[in-house]
Amino acid sequence: MSEQQSPADVALTIIGTPRWSLEPDPRTPPGDPATLLTIDGDGVITAFSGKVEYGQGIRNGFAMEIADELDVAVDSVRIILGDTDLVPQDRGTTGSASTRTVGIQLRRAAATARLTLIDLAATRLEVGADSLKTQDGQVVSKNGSDGVEYADLLSGQSLSVDIPDAVEVKAVEDFQLMGRPARRIDAVSRVTGAAKYAQDVVVPGMLYGKILRPPSYGAKLAQIDTARAERVSGVVSVVQDGDFVGVVAEREDAAEYAVEAIRARWEESRDTASDWNIPALLKERAEEPTALRDDGDLDSAFASAERVFENTYYVPYVSNAQMEPSASVARWDGDHLTVWCANRGPFAERDSLAEMFGLETSQVRVIAAEIGGSFGTKTPTVSHEAARLAKAVDAPVRVSYDRAEEFGWSTVRPAATFEVKSGVDAAGKIVAWDYTAFHAGENAFRGQRGADTPYDVDNVRIAVAASESPLQSGSYRSLGGATNHFAREVHMDEIAIGLGLDPLEFRLSNLSHARLTACLVAAAETFGWASREKRPGVGYGLAIGYDAGSFTAQCVEVAVENQEARVVRVVVGFDCGLVVNPDGARNQIEGSIVMGMGTALWEAVEFDGGRVLNAGFARYRVPRITDTPEIEVVFTGDDDVPSSGAGEPGIVPIAAAIANAVRDATGTAIEELPIVPRL
Amino acid sequence: MHLKVNDESHEVTVDAERTLLSVLRHELGLTGTKYGCGEGNCGACTVLIDGEATRSCITPVTSASGRDIKTIEGLANGDELHPVQEAFVEHTAFQCAYCTSGFIMSSAALLDRNPNPSDEQIQSALSGHICRCGAYVRILNAVRSASCNGGAK
Repeated sequence: MSEQQSPADVALTIIGTPRWSLEPDPRTPPGDPATLLTIDGDGVITAFSGKVEYGQGIRNGFAMEIADELDVAVDSVRIILGDTDLVPQDRGTTGSASTRTVGIQLRRAAATARLTLIDLAATRLEVGADSLKTQDGQVVSKNGSDGVEYADLLSGQSLSVDIPDAVEVKAVEDFQLMGRPARRIDAVSRVTGAAKYAQDVVVPGMLYGKILRPPSYGAKLAQIDTARAERVSGVVSVVQDGDFVGVVAEREDAAEYAVEAIRARWEESRDTASDWNIPALLKERAEEPTALRDDGDLDSAFASAERVFENTYYVPYVSNAQMEPSASVARWDGDHLTVWCANRGPFAERDSLAEMFGLETSQVRVIAAEIGGSFGTKTPTVSHEAARLAKAVDAPVRVSYDRAEEFGWSTVRPAATFEVKSGVDAAGKIVAWDYTAFHAGENAFRGQRGADTPYDVDNVRIAVAASESPLQSGSYRSLGGATNHFAREVHMDEIAIGLGLDPLEFRLSNLSHARLTACLVAAAETFGWASREKRPGVGYGLAIGYDAGSFTAQCVEVAVENQEARVVRVVVGFDCGLVVNPDGARNQIEGSIVMGMGTALWEAVEFDGGRVLNAGFARYRVPRITDTPEIEVVFTGDDDVPSSGAGEPGIVPIAAAIANAVRDATGTAIEELPIVPRL
Repeated sequence: MHLKVNDESHEVTVDAERTLLSVLRHELGLTGTKYGCGEGNCGACTVLIDGEATRSCITPVTSASGRDIKTIEGLANGDELHPVQEAFVEHTAFQCAYCTSGFIMSSAALLDRNPNPSDEQIQSALSGHICRCGAYVRILNAVRSASCNGGAK
């Protein structure tokens, strides 16, 4: 695989912090100034970002933003992503933040380049800069006289310009590309098989590694005999370092065969947790919950409430199950390590590799290949494995997980148990809200996302506890957002039904958040909520959600028959501010709906004694094309409001909306996921 | 062993128990065909053998020898995309696109056999494929439009 190169012959370099925001967030500082955009003497524009492309179309979004600001065709912009030697430091492609913080800064970089080009032209033409504008890759006079090509202006130059604080990006009414549906610039490589994913990376002299997996989490290697494996034709080496055992071979099939030929005896810890007892265990094994919010006086509010509702909810572990299993190629050149990977955080991966091998970060280069889906997983572990094997055999090594390894040894979305207690007054206003979530995994921050309620209520306690996890908890689209929303929005229907109120009216009467209200009203109107027709076996549900700075509401129709539930139709109200590529955003929202539908209806990792029991698509049911509902998206945001996230928010309310619809169809409350096995 | 792939003949020396997928990817460097599950459950590895959509991850290479194998790399006619590829571009019927080769190969086989399939027939032909990004609405629209355009020849 060819390594990406920085452009030679750079004529104009634009320097700035990698991130920028109108409302800076102390948790995501802007970063050190670095090269964000260059234009070479031939007029070729190149932009640099530490974000990665894993399907969300960010390369395309950035290219549209830059091309629009510079008035050039979108395919004349090159985007270099996720190569730690070439791009500015980045915290990872997470939290639906690329367009909100990096895209806007690349627009500012491009706007700076445009102003520089206009100044160059003004000097050359001996006219005032304010008499000039840019158009089709040229600086032209506003009165329409002949233009000068960017390449012509930049020929022989070597300029470096910092982004001025006050640089102005294009106004919405001047957009030529942004805000309009666009084909992806990487489309052809994706329909011809040309795009190279981590699984496809081949470097000269590369060998294939396969790791010996224990039978269960926490198992310790007691005894091993590798003699048979070493005799397999094509095997180069069996590498053992404590419990880490791997085979390196000339061919992948030989490595697989040899790992099977290893005789190993393991001492298993056989944790007693299983998918049967985990809902209660999560609470028993939890740390003390941390209150994120503790407002008003809950005790007296509950005492004076007209009605009190109290329920426990449960969401199981689910697998990210992205289509490309984890893979990584590692190559050592002396004490310098290069890794091609599918990680969404190349810099974090670089740092972890440097730490593991006692290197300076400058001795490690991590290059993100095209990534065949992630949704939060794809950890550095596979790169650690490849780098260890490559070092042991002194040759480049690729480690590619098979599907069972991906299900069994990659990370999963944490299971969670929720206790929700609410009080309402005689007018149907929520007066007390006591919410405690027990999320599996040591990282409580995951479970905090989306835990707070967006509804109007003065007496509130929101608490989240991390709980010991028998499986390897990791990130999944929206982190705790989707699971917290399930508990809250199903509980909202519990109250509405208890009070005999329409779920839409009940929500609206407890919601003063303008953007959420607009989403909900738009979704309900487009869906025809008010005129929905009650028929046997058909149910309707809705839910609202917030995530990554965006807001959404979703109305769902389901059909329930013979212990099966089918989602027939989904209408989504969605507000992410300015939509750069409406088709790209819609694609993300549709995908979020389909993915969330899987978690609502079928998906759960089954496990017992530290072993995953359904580590394959034959035993882990994901949505297929035959399950696809009709999906309609209504954008309700304001183009003058800066872009917020679009990749994750779509998933947060969908499971609750489906559960509420199934309850509407069957009359039975849904308090645990997935739904179908419980019908 | 003799393999005819994308109208080119190849002589390969490989163990008989290897899968067609493994040989295509590792011996012939045709990495457009993907490994997704190794069990024939996800469709990412789909190629055409004598025009039939076939899961190459569970096909012994010996059974494909001497037959006409087509992979995603051989579907376009030079720079001219196959109508199904064109439709996938037009509808952005993908996100990460790791599954896309498989969906396109099965769709091409379907339209070759049945140039005007119903929605049910399209869904049925593609039900063995998984797109975890969930681009199904677009995939359905793309195949519909390729068929309305006259489809595969």
